[in-house]
Amino acid sequence: MFLHNFKYSLKTLFKNKMLIFWTFAFPIILGTFFNMAFADVINKEKLSIIDIAIIDNEDYQNNKIFKTAFESLSDENSEDQMFNTKLLDEEKAKEMLNKEEIVGYLKMQGNDPKLVFQKNGVNQTIFKYVVEEIVQRSSIVENISKDEIKKQIEQGNFAVDAESIVKRVINETSNTEIEFENTANKNLNYMMIEFYTLIAMTCLYGGILGMVAINQTLPNMSNKGKRVAVAPTKKGTIILSSLLAGYVAQLLGLVILFAYTIFALKVDYGEHTGLVILLAMIGSLTGLSMGVAVGTLSKKSEGAKSGILIAITMTGCFFAGMMGVTLKYVIDKGMPIINKINPANMITDGFYSLYYYNTLDRFWFNVASLGVLCVVLITISFLSLRRQKYDSI
Amino acid sequence: MNNVIEVKNLVKEYKELKAIDNLSFEVHEGEILGLLGPNGSGKSTTINCVLSLLKTSKGSIKIFGEEMKPDSYEIKRKIGVIFQDVAVFDELTVYQNIDYFCGLYIQDKVTRKKYVQDAIELVGLQDFVKFYPKKLSGGLLRRLNIACGIAHKPKLIFLDEPTVAVDPQSRNNILDGIKKLRNDGATIVYTTHYMEEVEILCDRVIILDKGKILAQGTTEEVKELAKIDEKVTVEVNNLDSSYIEKIKQNSNVDEVTYTDGVLLVKYKEGKNNLVDMVEFLKKENIKYNKINSEKPTLNDVFLELTGKELRD
Repeated sequence: MFLHNFKYSLKTLFKNKMLIFWTFAFPIILGTFFNMAFADVINKEKLSIIDIAIIDNEDYQNNKIFKTAFESLSDENSEDQMFNTKLLDEEKAKEMLNKEEIVGYLKMQGNDPKLVFQKNGVNQTIFKYVVEEIVQRSSIVENISKDEIKKQIEQGNFAVDAESIVKRVINETSNTEIEFENTANKNLNYMMIEFYTLIAMTCLYGGILGMVAINQTLPNMSNKGKRVAVAPTKKGTIILSSLLAGYVAQLLGLVILFAYTIFALKVDYGEHTGLVILLAMIGSLTGLSMGVAVGTLSKKSEGAKSGILIAITMTGCFFAGMMGVTLKYVIDKGMPIINKINPANMITDGFYSLYYYNTLDRFWFNVASLGVLCVVLITISFLSLRRQKYDSI
Repeated sequence: MNNVIEVKNLVKEYKELKAIDNLSFEVHEGEILGLLGPNGSGKSTTINCVLSLLKTSKGSIKIFGEEMKPDSYEIKRKIGVIFQDVAVFDELTVYQNIDYFCGLYIQDKVTRKKYVQDAIELVGLQDFVKFYPKKLSGGLLRRLNIACGIAHKPKLIFLDEPTVAVDPQSRNNILDGIKKLRNDGATIVYTTHYMEEVEILCDRVIILDKGKILAQGTTEEVKELAKIDEKVTVEVNNLDSSYIEKIKQNSNVDEVTYTDGVLLVKYKEGKNNLVDMVEFLKKENIKYNKINSEKPTLNDVFLELTGKELRD
């Protein structure tokens, strides 16, 4: 029964023109459009060193971790120089920012970094992420460095070179220096975020597949559902096999999209192929779960439900940066909760973290968030699907 | 006689509305039972309750002697349902549609292949097996809908208005197919508001309105509930009202109407009424175009019982 329904579910999915368009054709069309629209922008952004300023105050000079990190990232003799950093007073930094000679400046207030930008963009984002990364690692570095200094003092070495210890700890613990250098090497471009959101969109469009599968098995949703409900088959078997077919169709859509973007559009997704696939798979599962939830909970027509799912997906992708990366950062900054629960952003951010960071903490956080969202949506749907008789059909 | 279905005191309420009001009936093995009633009378709701798709407010339902529940898979295996609305996949061909729905009941591929072929032949779709539903006419689509519901050779079949909006050829084909299913041993519950189909097909009828049974029995038994025994219709132009008054004076006449050139006379008893009318017309020198006599139909019975036409 499972295989019988699975086989025919696949046949119906692959012959459904609307599903084929949204799952297979639309992402490819959009990808081609992005490629055409952003090609010039990429070339301009390639390997650019970012002009920044740091307020040369006592707090900065005393913060060994920040000082060491930015010295390293601003080393003119390094091939991997990321920033062109000027140490200025605040007045001069403001003046340069107004003239757009720098993208922003950093001011240390105690141990807290304060970033000042005049507008949002990729360079500002990179600056912001680097600072966030340093903050995240500061406490680890600080603790280890303190222990190291204490150890040396206990061993009788009272002339401790704190700066060299901090520098070494940074290298030993988190490989931060190397990480930033690698990042600078990468082809930082707007288009990558667009492609990440494109994949997120493809994953979430799987919701339509999930919704259709549910609609065709419930008697209160479709005439075909009535027919299935009077047959001697368990509802769970039919639903699971239909959803599996939907998942397979969706993964195939992703394979086609990846193949098209890699081979035809020459998009570089980085080195973590396995993790990219994992994220796409769990993203697809989230999309499918979203469709199951909408299919189960809403009593509207199939067309209306498709509209709901398309609207959710497009809005999510929009907030995640599909139509311009600026909005993503405006939302990240002003209303972070939106992107925290936005599955499109979880997927996009997961890819982003794979591409720009060597550590996988942020990636796994996004994977876990998607997993939790899946569980929540499936649980809600399951509770509704348990009923076997209906008040009206 | 074995009862295939036993429904006792069935009630289905939607908030204030009683869609089914204390319904009790049986369906005997091998018979075709017609459920007659206008739109909204509760025919489809009754079927959905019997099939355990809808929650019932009260009452009991037994099929093949056992209580019907959503997980009564062994009972469901013996049931075929053709719903009022066509329920097929536009993405699958005629053959694939029948094979899919048959496959929900029959696992063995060899048996299923034979069953699917039998169903295709029964509804006369041999020339359309590779067609997609969108390429089929309304009548052929209805036939496909039926084939999907009966391909697994069920012992009990529910047909919910299967001939709505079909051409005469398809209607005849469908009715012939239903007769064949009955001859092959199936028990059939047939809902419709086409009384002529009921008269052709059904062994017994139940007339429903507002969720209540108004009458039940064989078609002849139900017709006997009518007050009139014969209707004589005369097509005649410009009939003077004095003639109508004269006809009314006959004690056997129940009702006389004259509308749009058609004189309709309803008689309480059915002896020599047509001859008497011809003689009356001749005697009064009234020229007429056509005259005919007929027995009361189920629609007449329904009209008397409910005050409205069956197709309202």
